[in-house]
Amino acid sequence: MSELAVLGLKVGFLALLWLFILFTGNVVRTDLFGRKVSAAELSASGTPGAKPQKLSRRALRQLPKTLTVTHGKQAGLQLPLGDGILIGRASDCQLLLDDDYVSTRHARISRTPTGYQVEDLGSTNGTFVNNQRISTPVAFGAEDTLRIGRTLMSAEK
Amino acid sequence: MNDVVGYRKRRGVEAFMLAFSIALGIGGYLLTHLNQDAALPPEWPWALAALFTIGLVLHVVIRWRLPYADPLILPLVMLLNGLGLAMIHRLDLGTSPRMHSAELQLMWTAVAAIACCVVIVFVRDYRVLQRYTYTMFLAGMALLMLPLVPGLGLEKNGARIWIHLGPYSFQPAELAKLVLSIAFASYLVEKREVLALAGGRFLGIELPRPRDLGPILVMWLASLAVLVFQKDLGTSLLFFGLFVMMLYVATEKPSWAILGVLLFGTGAYLGYLFFSHVQVRVSSWLSPFTDYDQNYQVIQGQLGIAWGGALGTGWGLGRPNLIPLAKTDFIAAAVGEELGIAGLTAVMLIYGLIVARGLRASLVARDPFGKLLAAGLAFVFAIQVFAILGGVTRLLPLTGLTTPFMSQGGSSLVANWTMVGLLLVITHQVRSPVPEAPEPEQWLSAETTQVVPVGAAAISGRPSAGTAASPAHPRTPSGEDEDESTVTVPTNPVQQTPTSPDDTTQIATEHADQPGSDRAAEDGHTT
Repeated sequence: MSELAVLGLKVGFLALLWLFILFTGNVVRTDLFGRKVSAAELSASGTPGAKPQKLSRRALRQLPKTLTVTHGKQAGLQLPLGDGILIGRASDCQLLLDDDYVSTRHARISRTPTGYQVEDLGSTNGTFVNNQRISTPVAFGAEDTLRIGRTLMSAEK
Repeated sequence: MNDVVGYRKRRGVEAFMLAFSIALGIGGYLLTHLNQDAALPPEWPWALAALFTIGLVLHVVIRWRLPYADPLILPLVMLLNGLGLAMIHRLDLGTSPRMHSAELQLMWTAVAAIACCVVIVFVRDYRVLQRYTYTMFLAGMALLMLPLVPGLGLEKNGARIWIHLGPYSFQPAELAKLVLSIAFASYLVEKREVLALAGGRFLGIELPRPRDLGPILVMWLASLAVLVFQKDLGTSLLFFGLFVMMLYVATEKPSWAILGVLLFGTGAYLGYLFFSHVQVRVSSWLSPFTDYDQNYQVIQGQLGIAWGGALGTGWGLGRPNLIPLAKTDFIAAAVGEELGIAGLTAVMLIYGLIVARGLRASLVARDPFGKLLAAGLAFVFAIQVFAILGGVTRLLPLTGLTTPFMSQGGSSLVANWTMVGLLLVITHQVRSPVPEAPEPEQWLSAETTQVVPVGAAAISGRPSAGTAASPAHPRTPSGEDEDESTVTVPTNPVQQTPTSPDDTTQIATEHADQPGSDRAAEDGHTT
């Protein structure tokens, strides 16, 4: 190949390499601030194929209102579920459990468009819904029992 | 439901950048042949197909499992891997009985991509890794010290960082990087409050309490052991540096970083005083040209980069084969020779971008473990690249680390791709939008009163009777066999007999949990 073609290919390759980096920089720039995700899209991504509006209303009516400790040292304790509850030993938890098997931030009950769900926050001894140890967020309705250590809880309307 | 700010998925951008990066890798390979024989190699479509399949599989797995993963990490890594493959192939061409290490490396790339996919598919939630703090720590330490076991360890090129596994040799420190960054992250999440406590002040810097120095001293001794017995400065720097950086990130106390630098400086100086292999490294760093035979590799690397100049000699037109170990430790010098400072800077920038994306994920992460793990994985790449490229360009004493994704070597490739898989899992989790719980007032006002049929009314009307039942009424743990309506029948018989049109409908409100819920339900009946 001629000297000129070699030079051209060499410079062309380097130019493309730097173009790649410029593209990367542009992606980083446009990625900086994110974008608004609409509520409809969020619930659509949460429950694929479901009609979010209708589902959400029905779910709202059936939502449990309070969490009651049914068994354990604090049996009888009730607190409103509200927007969600953090359960654990830490002082920022809404439900401070007096139980030897509770981690600092043990589990979280949060409200989703389809109802409440329980999520284990990497606890040492696990979170059980209807005696099944959970590893991913699972739905938590009025008929479900939640067990953390030796404490049993259930949601009531 | 409120709108929330989230990240775009950007999988299309990822696909485009991935194709671009593969094209650049293949471009280097084709240019080598064009420059050397003025013809394309006959097997080039196969090479293209192989790289393309690897990229496609990774992309599809990410689309399937991690739709919100960072769109840049995969293309950047793929570009480095492709450039490394092209350079190893180019160095193969320069060997006189021709070697085939590029083909082997391509096979290892496929294995590494599979390892990455396995991580993506099976690690659904990175937080499960937080459970095994001390097991991970012990496993990582064991891996790090494994080459010292007599009969298993293998000394190559002056450093004892290899082990035999049948016919294969393996660098366990590569795997230890991953295991120890998980261990450090989960340990520091637990202990960071304690470690952030201030002890005395010295020269305006808050020092940590002496009793908290245990972990950093353990890591210091471990890294000194690596330096002394495995004779590997790079591995020692990598692990101690990783721990100190993560300690700094977790506690936000500069005193830890200063203490770490002082400790490492002391250790390195003691190593320099007492061990000849460290003295050799330092002399080849400060004055390589005094002993041509001893510092042959460093000198050849320097001459190669100098010969390359700003734009390089072009693919296949330099003589990088003159550098010993050009495929592994000195691949950066080969890149510097054939692509010039322009190409070498681009490669460094790409490493910098990978690190930046990792740190970005760490900034966005909502839980401390995710923050520390993403930062730790980013720091591993940063320190490793800094140590080896610093060594090759004589900024630092030369260390025996691999250049991530580019150097020839299966264990390094698999370990680094596994780390990329974990980083992708983290970025997906931190970038996917989380529904925020709306403000209660908005939520109530958005919910207008509505007319509902009696079947549903019986369910929603239950709280009016629920006050009669004891609030601590124990539920049967297996509650799925009970139907809502059958429970309600005895407690609220009025609603079950639709005698008048009024009873067929009922106003349901969301105030049913208030003490006045009975009244609200009764008001509903009167309308």
